[in-house]
Amino acid sequence: MTPTVSASGLSLRYGGIRALDDVSLRLTRGVTGLLGPNGAGKTTLLRVLATAVPPDRGAFTVLGHDPGTPRGRQEVRRVLGYLPQAPGFHPDFTAFEFVDYVAILKELTDRGARHREVRRVLAEVDLGDVRGRRIKKLSGGMRQRVALAAALVGDPGFLVMDEPTVGLDPEQRMRFRELIAQAGEGRTVLLSTHQTEDVAMLCNRVVVLAGGQVRFEGTPAELTARAAGRVWSSTERDPGALAGWRTGTGSFRNVGDPPPGAELLDPTLEDGYLLTLDDAGAEVAAA
Amino acid sequence: MRGGDVETGRGDEGGRRGRRVRGVSGALVPAVGRTVPWRALGAGAVVGLLLVALPRLLSVEPDPWLSLNLLRAAVLAFALGLAFLLDDPARHLTTPVTTRRWVRTGLRVAWVVPPAALWWTAALALVPEKVRPPVGSVTLEAGATAVFALAAAAMAVRFGNEPESGPTVAAGVLTTAVLAQVLLPDRWSLFVATGDPRWEAAHERWALVLALAALVWGACGPEPVRRGFRFLRRRPTAADPSAA
Amino acid sequence: MNTVMQPGDLQAAPPAVRSESRRSWAAVFALARFEARDLLRYAVVLVTLFVYVGYTLWGLLSEREGMDAFPALQNVDRGTQTAPLLLGIALLVCVNRATLRSRRRDTDRHFDVLVMEPWRRTVAHVLSVVPFAILTALVVLGEFTWQALRPGAVGHGSVAELAVGPLTVLLCGALGVLMARLVPVVFAAPVLVIGLFTFSVFLSAGTGDAEWSRWLAPVVGETSSEALPSDLMGRPAAWHALYLIGLVLLPALGAVLVGGGRAWPLKAGLAGALALALTGAVAQSGGVSAELTAARERATDSPEKEQSCVREGASTYCAFPEWTGRAATWAETVERVQSLAGGSAAKQRLLVRQRIDATYGLSGDSALATSTTPHQVTVGTRWGGNRVPEFASAVASVLVAGDETKAGELCDGRMVTVMWLAVGGADTPLTELRNVRLDDALAGSAIVLTPTNPLSMSAGQTAVVVDLLKRPRAEVTAAVKDHWKELTAPGVTTAQVARVLGAEVPEESDDCEA
Repeated sequence: MTPTVSASGLSLRYGGIRALDDVSLRLTRGVTGLLGPNGAGKTTLLRVLATAVPPDRGAFTVLGHDPGTPRGRQEVRRVLGYLPQAPGFHPDFTAFEFVDYVAILKELTDRGARHREVRRVLAEVDLGDVRGRRIKKLSGGMRQRVALAAALVGDPGFLVMDEPTVGLDPEQRMRFRELIAQAGEGRTVLLSTHQTEDVAMLCNRVVVLAGGQVRFEGTPAELTARAAGRVWSSTERDPGALAGWRTGTGSFRNVGDPPPGAELLDPTLEDGYLLTLDDAGAEVAAA
Repeated sequence: MRGGDVETGRGDEGGRRGRRVRGVSGALVPAVGRTVPWRALGAGAVVGLLLVALPRLLSVEPDPWLSLNLLRAAVLAFALGLAFLLDDPARHLTTPVTTRRWVRTGLRVAWVVPPAALWWTAALALVPEKVRPPVGSVTLEAGATAVFALAAAAMAVRFGNEPESGPTVAAGVLTTAVLAQVLLPDRWSLFVATGDPRWEAAHERWALVLALAALVWGACGPEPVRRGFRFLRRRPTAADPSAA
Repeated sequence: MNTVMQPGDLQAAPPAVRSESRRSWAAVFALARFEARDLLRYAVVLVTLFVYVGYTLWGLLSEREGMDAFPALQNVDRGTQTAPLLLGIALLVCVNRATLRSRRRDTDRHFDVLVMEPWRRTVAHVLSVVPFAILTALVVLGEFTWQALRPGAVGHGSVAELAVGPLTVLLCGALGVLMARLVPVVFAAPVLVIGLFTFSVFLSAGTGDAEWSRWLAPVVGETSSEALPSDLMGRPAAWHALYLIGLVLLPALGAVLVGGGRAWPLKAGLAGALALALTGAVAQSGGVSAELTAARERATDSPEKEQSCVREGASTYCAFPEWTGRAATWAETVERVQSLAGGSAAKQRLLVRQRIDATYGLSGDSALATSTTPHQVTVGTRWGGNRVPEFASAVASVLVAGDETKAGELCDGRMVTVMWLAVGGADTPLTELRNVRLDDALAGSAIVLTPTNPLSMSAGQTAVVVDLLKRPRAEVTAAVKDHWKELTAPGVTTAQVARVLGAEVPEESDDCEA
């Protein structure tokens, strides 16, 4: 598949901290998950790709447009939907007015068409019934969906979402996953999250970021495969394991380098993710 | 209304483009108008008018010195309101949109200019004519103070990531005003009395403040494509993937 | 988890309650420390702190005027009061923002259910200003000590005056917290600052600077830059400090009350603070008492009754008690001037008397009348810088003319001799001459300042004096001493004097000849 978004050598420093360090990646249609521990640079990468902050070095293109020039950035923004980590609202606006406001700022031209589009995205995020309610009266989950509607308005080809499922209850989260999966059909979606289940259930590709650098880029199956042969079961917590915990069955599930003859288990995406982070940590320690 | 839109939708490409820009600007004006922090601006304006009206309220005979300083205090109160003008709680959501930043901020300012002019007229009218300072000169002071506050707000947006930097900007403007009063040596003084021989020179300095503030504001208005100051940074040398 | 209540635990309950309360207060202090540190993160606080300390240091270290070396401590204490207001304003705005932080960030809903009640958090916010007040107190003390340790320092400082700076800082902080609790929008505090300033300007203008309204402001300045003996200043500094303490406690306790504090000691404290502030406000507005007026009149009209005299060399120096230590410094100038004189003037016994006009206290400067007592010279309360050549001019004029009143009428050639005596012996005579003349120039006619009425120099006299000052000192001194009688004879013209001393003869005649 041809990449829709490709970045090379993105670097960004905040004060003395290297938030992004030579990040190169390629995104294709569908949902790409961005995994990484806190402070890995996920939000910074998303902000750069969403043209909210220009990088110090490096460049990227979105659907063939280069945001390194004012004109190119306009073109990128025409095809961009961005759901920031902490979206703010004008609390006195109704849900409809707020999304309409963002639609106007996205230069959606025709008033009737714009209103139809706003009603469509609000219905899509299941807020059709409360679109006339003021945002300050909405619950946290509803506000999050208003922000998602604002990101989706105008049918953007590239959707950037920063931890959209944080703070949602399990039912809302399921509904959100459904929405994101829908959004991923025919679009390029980059989704940052802490939740490996989100990635396992939604994404056709996954990028692991740690210390401002890309540690893994591939499919979820490939990430899971990294842990093949490195998960085993034992009756006591194995002291050589990176992580080990007692499961519901009473036996211990260990991740790391198994002793010879250990009873191997099927790895999950989370195991692969943990081992990738550990390898990255070892790499940093060695350097 | 809706029918008209549908009809224009069928127009030729050039017509649609022209229509589009007009249409967007048209819808943008009231939408941006609702996001202007009217409460802070209103509070500044009301307090300013109260300050100017103080002699009338307490029926005290004002002298030129008192009225000049009351007007200055009123302008500062209004400027503190202006410091909040560029606050946008939804900033993170509305940064990557196609409407350019200078259009959005320009529209906010455009919303505020008529009420500000009206407010200033009212403030001047509240000062009895015989103790009113020269209108042109105090208007220059008021304009410079207002543009200074706007420039400070624009700088906070340009160099910061905070959606609502108004309190910081207001504190900065207030402190600058106090420091300017305390620290500026006599020959650079901005706050001179009406009869002072330095009146003319001081107002040349006010014009300079206005010009500098306008320059800073202009420089901070557009959203940068590169980080930091452009002239301090070389263009990136990393391979451009779009060329590949 | 598995502790079981024992009967003994119930008996241990009272101490547990006490330690509970001690712990929650320890938490308040910990939060206050945290908030104080947090205040330093505001650029405005950092900048004003820097400016305040820097400005104070610069004022101490740079000797802008020679007068700085001879401070009167009863004025120095007052000089520490204005600058902390700057820090206070910044703190008012920033403490206000810090207090509103949890509301703005919408963490109130979380914090309100924490163990520490909102009113205790309010207390912590008020207390967070205390370190800044302590810092201000240290700066004020440092400033005062530095001045007091100067060899030329005289007089007495007042603790009540020194307390005004730190109390102002506390007042500003408490007002910021109160404002946050009353009007929970960040916009209110900066506007409050403008409002307070305007109100104070307005009050002083509206009431014509009446005693009661003047003293309502935290920092009360004075128009006069002269120094008066401490007991004649008539500043109700102690009452004002009491008033300020009440004024600090009012918003501080008020904020805690609005913040949800409901304990009776709090309400009692609020009433007490109100009583303090009112007592202070009433007591400080008493104005000038009859005794003080009488004392001021005595000091103005018959200073000899209040003064003690010391003998230095040939002359006698009489000064108010706080200034007697300065006699030796005055004597140096007198001896320097006298050493250039000839005839009987070289050995003339002078009486140097310190005089002041204390009639209006510190509310106005007024010139001292000249004295008619022969061989008496007036000296003021300030010293250093221009005050030195001014005094030297008075000494020289009395040596030449006999007394100050006659000296004020000098217009003939004797003026050349007077100015030669006054500055001829100085290290940088031309600079001193320039400084002592009102127009700061070395050509043309000008007024020469003295502690009492000024003298006047014509353009011709100026030219001759400048000419003399450019020539070798020993040569001119000898010439002056040799021709002393001729030079100091009443009616001698400037042209004659110039001829006698070998200077270029000016073209125009003296004012009194015309």
